[in-house]
Amino acid sequence: MSKPNMPIILETQNLTHVFPDGTVAIKDINLQIHAGEFVIVAGANGSGKTVLLRHLNGLIRPTKGKVLLEGEPISKNIIAARKQIGLIFQDSDSQIVGQTVAEDVAFGPENLRLPPEEVNRRVKTYLEVVGLSKLAQQSPHVLSGGEKRKLAVAGVLAMQPKIIMFDEPFTGLDYPGVVQVLRQLVSLHQSGHTIILVTHELEKVLAHADRLIIIYRGKIVEDGTPEEIIGRSEQYGVRMPLGENERVDAMTWLK
Amino acid sequence: MAQIVLFHYFPRNSILHKMDGRVKLICMILFSVAISLVQSIPSFIILTASLILITLLAARLPLITLLKDMKYFSFLILIILLVNSFVIPGRPIPGFPLPGVTVEGVMTGLIASWRLVLIIMVCAVMTGTTSLITLKNVVEWYLRPIPLVPETRIATMINLTFVFIPVIFDTVSEMLSAQKARCVEGRRNPLKRIMFIAFPLLVQTFRRTEELILAMEARCYSDDRTRAVFATTAKDWLILAFTVLFLAFILFYSF
Amino acid sequence: MGESTALNLRLTVFAALFTALIIIGGYLSIPLGAVPIALADFFVMLAGLFLGKKWGLASAALYVFLGALGLPVYAGGKAGLAVLFGPTGGFLFGYMALAFVVGLIASQKKPSVLRNLTALIAGNILLYAFGIPWLKTVLNLSWEAALTAGLTPFIPGAFIKIIVAAAIAQALLPRFNKSIADNAEQPEDEEQ
Ligand SMILES: Nc1ncnc2c1ncn2[C@@H]1O[C@H](COP(=O)(O)OP(=O)(O)OP(=O)(O)O)[C@@H](O)[C@H]1O
Ligand SMILES: [Mg+2]
Repeated sequence: MSKPNMPIILETQNLTHVFPDGTVAIKDINLQIHAGEFVIVAGANGSGKTVLLRHLNGLIRPTKGKVLLEGEPISKNIIAARKQIGLIFQDSDSQIVGQTVAEDVAFGPENLRLPPEEVNRRVKTYLEVVGLSKLAQQSPHVLSGGEKRKLAVAGVLAMQPKIIMFDEPFTGLDYPGVVQVLRQLVSLHQSGHTIILVTHELEKVLAHADRLIIIYRGKIVEDGTPEEIIGRSEQYGVRMPLGENERVDAMTWLK
Repeated sequence: MAQIVLFHYFPRNSILHKMDGRVKLICMILFSVAISLVQSIPSFIILTASLILITLLAARLPLITLLKDMKYFSFLILIILLVNSFVIPGRPIPGFPLPGVTVEGVMTGLIASWRLVLIIMVCAVMTGTTSLITLKNVVEWYLRPIPLVPETRIATMINLTFVFIPVIFDTVSEMLSAQKARCVEGRRNPLKRIMFIAFPLLVQTFRRTEELILAMEARCYSDDRTRAVFATTAKDWLILAFTVLFLAFILFYSF
Repeated sequence: MGESTALNLRLTVFAALFTALIIIGGYLSIPLGAVPIALADFFVMLAGLFLGKKWGLASAALYVFLGALGLPVYAGGKAGLAVLFGPTGGFLFGYMALAFVVGLIASQKKPSVLRNLTALIAGNILLYAFGIPWLKTVLNLSWEAALTAGLTPFIPGAFIKIIVAAAIAQALLPRFNKSIADNAEQPEDEEQ
């Protein structure tokens, strides 16, 4: 299932982050992600998943090591890197920057200085993709948790990144909400996007992934196909879904 | 919720709603200037009647609601009336029980407060028919030619302020009800009361703001961004021309 | 994107936050005897302490500007030039002076309580120095009446706000400054 024949799109070398208070959030992360891969990163609370994602599009600066996008260090042109690597934050409340749903989606494209017609076209397209067209003129503040998450997805999609990273996209979503986000994930993957998904709710999504990475106390401890790794996940605080004999391809909430 | 309480924009489909915001702002300023210049009672009456007609017909705003909102200003209006009545020298009102009140004073006070009411009405029509986003874009457009003024930054600040208001509003009400549950209300010490509101409010909003900044960076925030497009139609010019003629007529008539 | 751009973005967003806090502060009040303590000027003081003179002033100026545009942001939902140039308009201009002076005197690497208190007291003196003569002129009052209406009832509240503002700065400023400084550095070329 994994795609070693595709070129490496994103790579980290000895990526390490130590916070000023001495917390070692991630340590010597060496990671190679191929174009078009669907990677799930799992790990217990506080294991460093969020910190890792924030390094991948240069939101925080490594204490040691570096991140390469298509072979180039992202620090060379951070804006270009962020344009290619979209990140949907864990907390969708605090990433609202618009006074209306449509304005919020327009924020990214406007930053890229796209012509107004193109901005409008993208807003329309991606609101449709996530199914929020009807709420375009609403204040994002009054949306439900699931709708806010969809809005965050639309805001990132509107920048048309190649790589899309999701930080815990299922938190706080009900069953239909999870199914909708999942559908989006799968169709984004099918349309050629590289997906990096942080979650510990493996039973909802693992069937769709090419690769599973487990982080434990800031280090990568397992990296391989879901079938290889799933049996060993529990010792790292990631609950193994649905009993030991369950097959990986049953681990999805889609149908 | 908070937005509805705080800002009286009424989404409608009226002539004024559809007007180019830039031209509308000019018309509003012209009206305010005319209001501060008129002298004679008949011109006041004509201005008032025309403003009522504009509110009802051209803006399709609920006049009663707007008048109710004037209660915030009633104290200011009363003060102006009272102070003028006592301070302006002139003939005492025959048979009036309070000494010191003069005919000239009451007249001046009435005119001054009438002026105030009219200016408030003009503002209400402007904010009632213009969304905050349009207003922000209009401000940005007018600031653009002024050197040394970072108009995009200011527009971003205006936008973010209105993104923050409902957030703070909700944080405060959540905090107050949580504190009510723990009987903080019973505390008399105002020092502690302010501390109990301000401290958690700042801690929470700071954290939120940190996240928002990261989210803005992740979506490539830039000062060099797509600009809002405005469209001025023949109707806008017609309204402007009519406003100028009408106000010129009133001022001419007034002197 | 240099270091200053990132720092500027951070301060821009925080300045907008403080403008919003000032607006909400105008709607919040704490009972204290007959005159409730309004919190708008309290957040203006904090804007000066946390953001420094330039961005503190920006935050207060934006508040005044939004009200002048006709948005009901002034205390109690008031708005417009009528208020700005009305009897209490001096206090609105005084807010800008307050934020600026507090930021001017207090802005220091190491926050010191004494310095912050001095800054807050000086700023408040300036606030009333704008507000009271304005009130007197617009309403044609005597000095005595202007002071009775515009100063005396607010003194206890002002002292409480000054003390709380200084205490909050002491507790939160070190962390706030550090996060601003830490995150403001942008990754630049490590290669080459
Ligand atoms: N600003 C910070 N200062 C100090 N330590 C931090 C900071 N941010 C995160 N950490 C620490 O870094 C470690 C990794 O945090 P991170 O947020 O990446 O965890 P996570 O895997 O995303 O957890 P969760 O599943 O709860 O989201 C944690 O121990 C956390 O306490
Ligand atoms: Mg996390």
